[in-house]
Amino acid sequence: MSKSINYLLRRLGFYAIAAWAALTLNFFIPRMMPGDPAAIIFARFRGKLKPEAMNALRETFGLTDEPLLGQYFTYLKNLLTGDLGISIAYFPQPVTDIISTALLWTIFLAGISLIISFSIGTLLGTLAAWKRGSKLDSILPPALALFGAFPYFWLAMVALFIFGFGLGWFPLRHAYGEHVTPGLNFPFIIDAIYHAILPASTMILVSLGGWMLSMRNTMITTLGADYITFAHAKGLPSRMIMLKFAARNAILPNFTGFGMAIGFVLSGALLTEIIFSYPGQGYLLLEAVRAQDFPLMQGLFMTITLAVLGANWLVDIAILFLDPRTRR
Amino acid sequence: MTDILLSIRNLDVEYITPGDPVCAVKNVSFDIARGEIFGLVGESGSGKSTVVQAILRTLPPPAIITGGEILLNGKDILSMSDREVKKFRWQEISIVMQSAMNALNPVIPIRKQISDVLYTHKGYSREKAHQRIKELFDLVDIRYDRMDSYPHELSGGMRQRIVLAIALALMPPLIIMDEPTTALDVIVEREILFKVLELRKELGFTILFITHDLNLLLEFTDRVGVMLKGELVESDEAIRINSGGQHPYTKKLIGALPSAAGPRRKDLLPRPEQFKIGEKPLIEIHNLNKKFHLSGFIRPKMLHAVKDVSFNIYPGEIVSLVGESGSGKSTIARLIARLIPPTSGTIILDGIDIFKSEPRSASLNYRRKVQMVFQDPFGSLNSVHTVFHHLARPIIRHRLIPQAELYKYIIDMLETVGLSPGSLFADKFPHEMSGGERQRVAIARALSLQPELIVADEPTSMLDVSIRMDILQILADLRVEKNVAVLFITHDLASARYLADRIIVLKNGSQVEHGNSEELIQSPQHTYTKQLIAAASPGWLKKNLLKTNENRDSK
Amino acid sequence: MSTRLNDSILIRWLRGILTNKKALAGSFLVLSFIFIAFVGPFFTYDPNAFLDTPLSPPTFTHWFGTTGQGQDVLAQTISGARQTLLIGFCTGFFVVVIGALIGGISGYYGGRVDDVLSMVINVFLVMPGLPLMVILASWLPPGPLTLMGVLVLTGWAWNARVIRSQMMALRGRDFVSAAIVSGERNIRIIVIEIMPRMLSLLASSFIGASIYAIGAQVGLEFLGLGDVSTVTWGTNLYWASNDLALLTGSWWTFVPTGLSIAFVSFGLTMINFGIDEVTNPRLISERNWRKLLPKGKMNDGITPVVINHD
Repeated sequence: MSKSINYLLRRLGFYAIAAWAALTLNFFIPRMMPGDPAAIIFARFRGKLKPEAMNALRETFGLTDEPLLGQYFTYLKNLLTGDLGISIAYFPQPVTDIISTALLWTIFLAGISLIISFSIGTLLGTLAAWKRGSKLDSILPPALALFGAFPYFWLAMVALFIFGFGLGWFPLRHAYGEHVTPGLNFPFIIDAIYHAILPASTMILVSLGGWMLSMRNTMITTLGADYITFAHAKGLPSRMIMLKFAARNAILPNFTGFGMAIGFVLSGALLTEIIFSYPGQGYLLLEAVRAQDFPLMQGLFMTITLAVLGANWLVDIAILFLDPRTRR
Repeated sequence: MTDILLSIRNLDVEYITPGDPVCAVKNVSFDIARGEIFGLVGESGSGKSTVVQAILRTLPPPAIITGGEILLNGKDILSMSDREVKKFRWQEISIVMQSAMNALNPVIPIRKQISDVLYTHKGYSREKAHQRIKELFDLVDIRYDRMDSYPHELSGGMRQRIVLAIALALMPPLIIMDEPTTALDVIVEREILFKVLELRKELGFTILFITHDLNLLLEFTDRVGVMLKGELVESDEAIRINSGGQHPYTKKLIGALPSAAGPRRKDLLPRPEQFKIGEKPLIEIHNLNKKFHLSGFIRPKMLHAVKDVSFNIYPGEIVSLVGESGSGKSTIARLIARLIPPTSGTIILDGIDIFKSEPRSASLNYRRKVQMVFQDPFGSLNSVHTVFHHLARPIIRHRLIPQAELYKYIIDMLETVGLSPGSLFADKFPHEMSGGERQRVAIARALSLQPELIVADEPTSMLDVSIRMDILQILADLRVEKNVAVLFITHDLASARYLADRIIVLKNGSQVEHGNSEELIQSPQHTYTKQLIAAASPGWLKKNLLKTNENRDSK
Repeated sequence: MSTRLNDSILIRWLRGILTNKKALAGSFLVLSFIFIAFVGPFFTYDPNAFLDTPLSPPTFTHWFGTTGQGQDVLAQTISGARQTLLIGFCTGFFVVVIGALIGGISGYYGGRVDDVLSMVINVFLVMPGLPLMVILASWLPPGPLTLMGVLVLTGWAWNARVIRSQMMALRGRDFVSAAIVSGERNIRIIVIEIMPRMLSLLASSFIGASIYAIGAQVGLEFLGLGDVSTVTWGTNLYWASNDLALLTGSWWTFVPTGLSIAFVSFGLTMINFGIDEVTNPRLISERNWRKLLPKGKMNDGITPVVINHD
């Protein structure tokens, strides 16, 4: 038992280091840009912001007259206390507020797409490997590989074009329509789902192939193992062997992939969100970049990083439960 | 009229390849009578495992059965429908596979791997299954509290007993054992075999036993079948085969292996007549220790693999380190070959303290003088390079032979180890040669640097039985012809007895006994040595079985 | 003597690849595009020229129609191939080289070196790629070098880890120990003994990295983070989106480019499938085996009985 906790703590330590590295990078990027970031901010917002606001901005950003190291520690202190500063583009809303809404939408859209894609893809991969050489196995892998070859934002464009503009079956943009009020009420939830169908479908379709192929590969390797032959020799029913022996073992390496995909999804749904003007983290990031909203950018980068690392840690815990070999 | 349980008639099995199909089993026929122990023996590639897997029809793709019949209780297994096949599996015939670790599902507890057959075939309730599992655990002497363990948490011997318990779960009339003890240490092997035979006496099942060790089979089987290259070349009662056998291959198999008991045979690896071993030690090992860091940062768990080992080797001498897995013998080999650094200890080569003069990495000089031959003939050669490359590289690196004479030198080296004509072998790739040929190349490679010591780490354990003696003969000849000392690492006390001048016995990293080979064998001092000798002597099994019979009769 | 062995490895491997159907089909697809990228621009209109009515559908003069600025879409698609493919393959190359260097050294030397390098690899692996790319690309001056730099920085870690794994596996094999015991220098062992055993892995890593590079590149350019004045597949899509292709229903402005990207990526994927088969000839044996099964019967863990096959 203690070895498991040891393992989890070590992983946590690693993620802490990774987080620190990412945040430090985050700190240095604007300072590495040619020119003085302060001057840039001034130039950008000359006349638009009151001097007090400018100072507040500089302080949040850590661009004070302190030496570099001092700025760094101020920056870290601010981060740890949850003070991510005030957004420039959405002035005077604090960054944390803006991000939390966007985060929810991203988790909703991308998270659910990932879970559906992973589940269906893994299932298809299991079946394809089990029924090697069947029609399913000959058609599905290349077909899904083909779908996966399209840039997924392009598929999003096509889907939007056909089903949105063309057939008018689905809404064209945003997470919910204007006629519903946000909250935990039924019409809102239905509307949110309705708006999510098209973007989610494109994301699922593109990533399905990857999960299927990956599961199929690990299944094929697993099916060559002696314990599968032994299970057959025992006369156990095929379904039991396919699921309890083969898939149960084959899914383990894919789980690590799932962890990494969480990272991608929490940050990379970006392109789909752009096409559909879906107010998630990715969309927000692009807005921030375009508006040169440094506090927002830094805040987003931090939340994305922490969310990714946190998700990975949760996956580590899950693997601990799924694979008894990691417990010893 | 004997009651035939299983009858195999004219069995043919092929493997599909990217090219032409390969015939793995050709026209094999034999019967197994109810209640007997039938042994099937053959070397790697003989088809013995293929035959038994064909019986259960568990041969994985790309195998196909192309002919014959397998009659079980009158029904032909090869014509059965899939449903019937799934039904008779485990209920009529079960199997104990070679590597128990590989046979068990790593993510499911042991208990469930027994209960699944009980649920599937018999529809037991949970209570009944639990009861049965306890009975089975009793049969194989495992404590109940291990029921919820995972396979990787058990020792090798325990795993094998679990697999045995699973095989007995439905009490099938026939149990196939496919090399069940090959991967185990000799002492554990004997214990398990003993257990199996005990159980058989008690429960009365029939056994089909597969192995490459004919001598083992002759100790306890009723009848034996000998397979060579997919064909059954001989099949007879064990007693008759013991006294000679008909087929030349059978004869070869019987005479192939030395024994650790009895007087020394004169025809096997005879001692050289006038050969003097040097007086001053070539290499001195003093208090060698090696600890491996297993896990943990603050309180690290260490494995003390080599504990204070000291011995000398004299020029031209053959010394053998004998021990089972975990004894530290391979670690010592790697320490002397300087593949891993020691935790503490000294090595003095030709009078020079090595770890003082070249502490960080071995000098070229050391590398030339101390060479190594590895256990796995396939793994120790690089499949992408020719034999010539393997021999030439070290020579070029040490600038031993001028470029002009290199080719001839290598050809000579190859012929010395019996690969003739050398020019033919020089251009071959590893996969184009047999295991024995590859090992000869490995020896030639070690020899080409004209070393003073060759460390041979189990050089024959992965080779077919029939050629092991040939390889050992090469080593024996080399020490005379080239005056090179050999450190022979092995788990096989019998071959150590014949090849080596002196034997050092290792247990759990420590030396327990050492001495002149013959003296050690004839009058061992330490209990462990005595155990090893006993386990390696024929008749051990019979003796113990007789003892239990007496105990039982006298009750 | 040494020429024979070099020839044999490379040639054996190449022969395997060149006779593999999937690899051939994929190569054909990819090479066609490369060819078109080289030669095509000489035969088309100037992609930058404003030629005709904007947003007109495909006609005989303009096979793929015109863009929102009246430029010829066919010309843009063909010209766009050049830079996209060039950057894609160059990035793929650098990603594999860096991955092989860091992963290889980490895997071979082990110990402290491995601890440090592994940590570096894992940190890069776990950092969210796309946001990092977006932020970096927005800070740096737009252009192909920025693009390559950003892509390599965010993409090298995955290959490094895979190569490190295989290096560690090979490092533990006896033939490496034998080379060490005969006094061979480490560099020679890595390059002459181990690398040839990693040919397939390096090849498929290169292809995988190229697929990634092409996709990511197009993504960044679509966001406007590339040099929007150049003609690449990504910028084509950027302009198509900017000129409200969806709203105006001008599907021809973005469909050809998307299809081209998909076909090239798909072709590369096929090549990788082919390499898999060559590395693992068992896959071909099993395919041949399956042909012998009676129709409709699946491999259910029961060895089939097939009498008199041919």
